[in-house]
Amino acid sequence: MLSLRNIGADPPPLRKPRKVVDGSFLVLLVFTLAGGVAVAWTSGLDRTGVIVAEAFRFIAVLAPKIAAGIFIAATLPMLLPRDKVGRLIGRESGLRGLVVAAACGAALPGGPMMTFPLAAGLTAAGADLGATIAFVSGWSLLGLNRTLIWEFSFLPSDLVWTRYMLSLPAPVLLGLAARAVMQRRVA
Amino acid sequence: MNILIGTVLIGGAALWLWSYLPNSDWRRASYEASLDTFLFTAPRVLVALLGAGFFAELLPEDQVRGLLGSEAGLTAVVLAIALGPLTPGGAFVSFAIGAAALKAGAAPVAAIAYVTSWSLFSTTKIFAYELSFMGRQATLMRILVSLPVPFAIAGLAHFL
Repeated sequence: MLSLRNIGADPPPLRKPRKVVDGSFLVLLVFTLAGGVAVAWTSGLDRTGVIVAEAFRFIAVLAPKIAAGIFIAATLPMLLPRDKVGRLIGRESGLRGLVVAAACGAALPGGPMMTFPLAAGLTAAGADLGATIAFVSGWSLLGLNRTLIWEFSFLPSDLVWTRYMLSLPAPVLLGLAARAVMQRRVA
Repeated sequence: MNILIGTVLIGGAALWLWSYLPNSDWRRASYEASLDTFLFTAPRVLVALLGAGFFAELLPEDQVRGLLGSEAGLTAVVLAIALGPLTPGGAFVSFAIGAAALKAGAAPVAAIAYVTSWSLFSTTKIFAYELSFMGRQATLMRILVSLPVPFAIAGLAHFL
């Protein structure tokens, strides 16, 4: 499945580091602080402390997944051959690339901790934004695991079918839309 | 239980990938890249999950459920789309809320709009994971092109 170049002979590729603190992180920080202040205001400091403790407990449970996800996001693009990924789901991959990406997203069994590191890895390995969006949307809207196990057990099946069938073309259309926007931006 | 299965799955995938690293040079480069990614990702996940905890307290589940069931027609659909991203908690809460809202009298179209909007725009997913791994530009682009989707699907579901 994973076809590699003769990497034993090659040196590992270099990565450029990203800025840790940027605008979106500051926005997130402000929202979180505002949320914390609002909770302290409405429910008291004790309750705020309980929520913080709960969040940290959740993060501790999540930590192995986060670590593995980070390793995958960082290592996958080093190992995947860029030209092959590019041909399969790159900018020139056409409709077929988007369908492949959306189907992979729908078939992916994990949660966001699996999906987004993979998507980031594929982007770094040569997937274009359209295919990445088709992949993430395929997982969001059509994820088989979630629909088969969870959605059908909670919601009436005719409603699930309606939602699923109507959503079916969406990931590919979103990928096409993203490609159109990117092309206009470049032009 | 789900977290355990997920952890085993992702851990297995990581180990499998690790086994492809050919020599110590590659392993070192992989660890360095992982550390870079960790420094970028970890603060975001941490702050976002704290924020998710706070916002879940400010907008509890039963309130979302009540709101969804009490409105009708177009208002219900618009409200459902607005509540999707704000839904506290992780993956399966939204299905449970959708089901409860249906029982409380919500229209099926509103439930479809709600689940669709949550799937695409869950703020927990976006802030904790998408922004952390994909960066701002890719995230914004995905949100931008996806904005019409819940409306389109609700509209089509209405005429079915």
